[in-house]
Amino acid sequence: MRNWEAIVERQLNGLALEPAESTEVIAELAAHLAETCEEFRRQGITEEEAARRTLSQVEDWQKLSRLIRKARTKENVMTNRVKQFWLPSLLTLFLSMGLLMLIQSLGPNPWIAARRSGWSLIAPVAVIYLPWLFLLPLIGALGAYLSNRAGGSQRAMLTSIVFPVLPYFVFFLLALPVTVLFNESLGHNIMFIALFLGLLVWVVAPGAALLAGGVLARTFLSRRSDARGIAGG
Amino acid sequence: MIGPGIKRGTAELAVLSVLEDGPLHGYELARRIEQQTKGALRFTLAALYPMLYRMEQRGWIRGSWETSQQGRRRRCYRLTAAGKTKLSPLRKEWSELFSALRRLTKVSHA
Repeated sequence: MRNWEAIVERQLNGLALEPAESTEVIAELAAHLAETCEEFRRQGITEEEAARRTLSQVEDWQKLSRLIRKARTKENVMTNRVKQFWLPSLLTLFLSMGLLMLIQSLGPNPWIAARRSGWSLIAPVAVIYLPWLFLLPLIGALGAYLSNRAGGSQRAMLTSIVFPVLPYFVFFLLALPVTVLFNESLGHNIMFIALFLGLLVWVVAPGAALLAGGVLARTFLSRRSDARGIAGG
Repeated sequence: MIGPGIKRGTAELAVLSVLEDGPLHGYELARRIEQQTKGALRFTLAALYPMLYRMEQRGWIRGSWETSQQGRRRRCYRLTAAGKTKLSPLRKEWSELFSALRRLTKVSHA
């Protein structure tokens, strides 16, 4: 005899309702699953197969968890948005900026990529903080974990992971077209190349590092969630 | 393609209509709808409960825990006065829609 309540409780991890309300929802869904499974068994289906068919009624437990929470909470939209998006986003932003400031003040020195002419560097120069880039996947993973735990959608999770590079992205989005338009009159022919280089160093590279960690964490969390469902069955 | 609004509307109408005959728990409610529509409308757990909870929040149905003769605890849903009031215009709306579609289909086939 399967413990359907334990299975539902594990799968709906992060339901984020009041404890008494969560218990009620879990008990109700578990009773439904138990009856579905019993019906399959009455049809002569093996227990293993009956359990598999019963669980296949829910393709995405995270989505179900979100829908139930949405349906049962009246005006709680703001709280959910804070937990699923703003909290992970601001945390990744502050951690990423704090880490960068720490590395800038304590070292090691950044890697400077530029063409050289003798001992001097020729502009544009790219200043790359390698330890920062290597640590960013951890921050991305933390953002993904927090958003996932609060039952955030895939979009909320991805946005909160790359949130630290969004201010830079907006800056370059505004600065690049302006530079293209006024490049001649500014008389700085290197401006466009410098900005493009900046886009790579401050948006593309850290964004990719954050996403790498975040997506890996998300994959790990969803696999663990699936494994729990099978093990609990 | 049937949009989510239409799907939700038919699902709510189905639930309210079935509960009009008497209180039922979620599993039995889904089975009853499937039987009465000869399998045309089927509710999985993932589709049924968010809808039931939403309808309960709107005050159309009310759930309460009951213990069956076998000692199993189940949450039974019954239609509220607000649900009964909702059912009548919903039926009219859908009846008009189906009539319109029937008329349109006849015209299209003519």
